[in-house]
Amino acid sequence: MSKEKVFPIFAAAFAVIYVLAVQYNWALFTYHPKINEWEWLAQPAKSGPPMYWYGWLVTSVLGAGAVSLVSWPLTRRGPALLWLGWIVPIVIVVIFVYLFRGFFIR
Amino acid sequence: MVMYLVLLHGLLAVVLLGGITHQAMSVAWPSRNKSGIVRSFRAVNGSLYTNTNIVLYLATATLGGIIYPVYRVGVRTFLENARLMAATGSFELKEQFVAIGLGMLPLYWLLWNRPPAGSGNAARIAVTLILCAIVWYGFLVGHILANIRGLFGL
Repeated sequence: MSKEKVFPIFAAAFAVIYVLAVQYNWALFTYHPKINEWEWLAQPAKSGPPMYWYGWLVTSVLGAGAVSLVSWPLTRRGPALLWLGWIVPIVIVVIFVYLFRGFFIR
Repeated sequence: MVMYLVLLHGLLAVVLLGGITHQAMSVAWPSRNKSGIVRSFRAVNGSLYTNTNIVLYLATATLGGIIYPVYRVGVRTFLENARLMAATGSFELKEQFVAIGLGMLPLYWLLWNRPPAGSGNAARIAVTLILCAIVWYGFLVGHILANIRGLFGL
């Protein structure tokens, strides 16, 4: 497996899956910090605020790993798509600023 | 204990900030001449910083993840009650930007240790600058939030 073909796809897939995980709450697990309890998948608040960030990260790592593996045979013959690995994250950063604009604009 | 972890998190972030800024300057605005402090700052061998920056990024993010529950339960509740929505939003963005940076680390490692031919240099400059911007943003937001009561007289 060629790292120069897989790593840009991993970076791009990670960013895309991460923004989807945040937007649609695809957390693989939930942490309830006040009662120190972990639960599978996204769960509602129990006592105090729930934390999904860890779950979003794991969802994104697993998802991006799977996308990289699946896409590897397709990209094997072409050139390395290095631009994917930085243009897509920049676009996702802009999308996050848009999604969180409510905190700054009232 | 959490206080020591916050301090360690901040200290690691300072070292990372220095390393990634040195590297970003050396690749985006290189200099062969070492006369003067600015040119010396830009004339470093950027590739030497890569592995250290990756370890520091992972260590700083991991420590941030360990102390994050304290922020979520105590500090964020305080910020929301004080109606400091911009401060809350700034931290929310930091959380997402740091995560995107984590996903870029394998590519960052590749571009500095085994740079591909062709568009490899442009990608290396872009990825390094993005990570540098994420680290600066995370550092400034973390620093301001850690001192927000003093800074805003709350």
